[in-house]
Amino acid sequence: MTQTHDSLSGRLYALFLRSEPVRGFALLSPTLLIMLAGMCIPFAILVAMSFWTQHVFEFDTTFSLTNYNEIVDKPMYRVLLTRSLVISGACTVATVLLAYPMAYYVAFHVHRHKMVWIVLMTLPFWSSYLLRVFAWKIILGYNGAINSSFMGLGWLEKPLEFLLYSPTAVVITLTHAWAAFAILPIYVSLEKIDRSLLEAATDLGDGPVKRFIGVTLPLSLPGIIAASLLIFIPTVGDFVTPALVGGPDGAMIANLIQVQFGRINNWPMGAALSLAMMVIIAVISLLYIWTARRFTEYGR
Amino acid sequence: MKSKTDISPQELTERLQAGDMTRRDFHKMLAAAGIAMVATPVLSRSALAAPADQATYFTWGGYDIPELFAPYIESHGEPPNFAAFGGTEEALTKLMGGFVIDVAHPCNAGLPRWISSGLFRPFDLDQLSNWDDIIPALRTLEGAVQEDGTYFAPMDWGQTSITYREDLFDLQGAEESWGMLWDERYAGQIGVIASAGDTWWCATIFAGVDFNDMTTDENFDKVASLLRQQRPLIRMYTDDVTTLEQALASGELVAAMTWNSSPVDLKRQDVPVRWANPVEGALTWVCGAVMHKDAPNPERAHQVIDSLISVDTGRFIIDEYGYGHSNAKAFDEVSDERLAELGLTRTPSDMLDAGKFQIPLPEEFTSRMNAEFEQIKAGF
Repeated sequence: MTQTHDSLSGRLYALFLRSEPVRGFALLSPTLLIMLAGMCIPFAILVAMSFWTQHVFEFDTTFSLTNYNEIVDKPMYRVLLTRSLVISGACTVATVLLAYPMAYYVAFHVHRHKMVWIVLMTLPFWSSYLLRVFAWKIILGYNGAINSSFMGLGWLEKPLEFLLYSPTAVVITLTHAWAAFAILPIYVSLEKIDRSLLEAATDLGDGPVKRFIGVTLPLSLPGIIAASLLIFIPTVGDFVTPALVGGPDGAMIANLIQVQFGRINNWPMGAALSLAMMVIIAVISLLYIWTARRFTEYGR
Repeated sequence: MKSKTDISPQELTERLQAGDMTRRDFHKMLAAAGIAMVATPVLSRSALAAPADQATYFTWGGYDIPELFAPYIESHGEPPNFAAFGGTEEALTKLMGGFVIDVAHPCNAGLPRWISSGLFRPFDLDQLSNWDDIIPALRTLEGAVQEDGTYFAPMDWGQTSITYREDLFDLQGAEESWGMLWDERYAGQIGVIASAGDTWWCATIFAGVDFNDMTTDENFDKVASLLRQQRPLIRMYTDDVTTLEQALASGELVAAMTWNSSPVDLKRQDVPVRWANPVEGALTWVCGAVMHKDAPNPERAHQVIDSLISVDTGRFIIDEYGYGHSNAKAFDEVSDERLAELGLTRTPSDMLDAGKFQIPLPEEFTSRMNAEFEQIKAGF
């Protein structure tokens, strides 16, 4: 008995040593298992569940497109999805516009201790995300920093109410919260630009503006694209920020998904909404990458 | 001797300014800080972790405080573990999802729905030394007693009504009414609770619909349209009453739907608020304790419940929060003046009868109501 066992395991061991793919998978196996257990299986459950329906406490597991039909039919889902995309879009544009000059300055005008500058710019990231959202609540609030100082200066009769509990508040908060994700990729792409190209442009008679538009901007596009995607994709599904500063008109799709899994207790609907959001984000991101690529190719 | 990476922030800035720090030093320091940050949760986990042998109490935010557990702390040295929720629907969903606790804190309107989930077990009444002091009328709420025993121990009871700023809300001689939350003069200065479990019911009272008839389609639409009409006036829908209280204190809101504890709290901070007694009647409810069928620690779970219904806890709930309590003897600990100040009486039936008492609803209706209210809040 023992001998057969030994020879079997010995043969398996020999196979293991001989076959490169097997060895590769063996090395990968911890990661693969985690991916399988933590990502693929839950995702498959989510997909399956989105075709079910909820009956009070039980799931009806017969295949049905009810949830998807409802997403298409009910204006609420469309409006919340569109609003989420618009808010994230605005936040992405604002973040990139604000981050670009900062990254530019560090890449071109700082010569000593660049690392310190980068670290200082990412300093807000050292505090909790939730804490930063609450900080904005204090700044934008009814008797918060902005309102009370403006009223103290006599510029305002009564507090500005649109500052907090509005889509504007969500955009401002998200923009600040995600700034570092834009600064870093843009900085890297600016830093990589070959300085001799800029000198050549100057030698050929380009002014600073023309040089920027003709050389620096196109060469930093990969950084801008990376930054936009890094910010757009996660912010569409952001849940905490709109819940805390959004108010009734600033609610986003993620808030609706959360109540499907909570108060409304309709998990299949929540699953369908999550998947719909995922597909829409994927389509937009792919379109964006595709256009950006075409644009850079023409630019050359 | 201090290592180069072990310096104070002030030293760091000084050395950075002087340029007396190599990139390598700086990286070393960053690495140290990074490791410290990553390691912190691991190192302090044992300190943060809930003591494993204490029972877990899953309750409304605000009830997760040691003050409600004096008898429990006396015998075990520390309070039970807490997990908090903002609404019973959300809590039930979490429990259905497999969250195991010892004791939870639902309210009477959801009781049959909670019990029918099959997640709870009857008490061993012999282990509840304070059970006999419970006001009898509260013991037999619908759903509380099943064939195999008692599932629900009433604890706190109170009202959902309006807290408003005396100085900012002008009633113009009219009586206090639910209409205050529909007053167009104060558009953008009104707040309500985000859960249909309160807001839908209050709108039902305002619509003049009897709770026994609220499940008909006609009345469903009537209440829904009232809530739609209210939506443009609302500054915030929130599950967090503290947010409403802060907004009332700052004057951002002039009137908000709250529970008894909010005016008590705000008056303590000298904010000029009143607790309305709406002419249509306030919404009244009873909340209490149920025990999970898989409670890891049934004996301590009973002790948690016994603490909740004790005289000590009752006095605290009445005096500090302004709610009623189920223990009849707890009222003896509070003076008549204080009760009057809080708007409470010694006989809870007076108050429960004066208001509109929440009744359990069919499950289908509850689901439909929750879904519709979310849609209304989103603006549709």
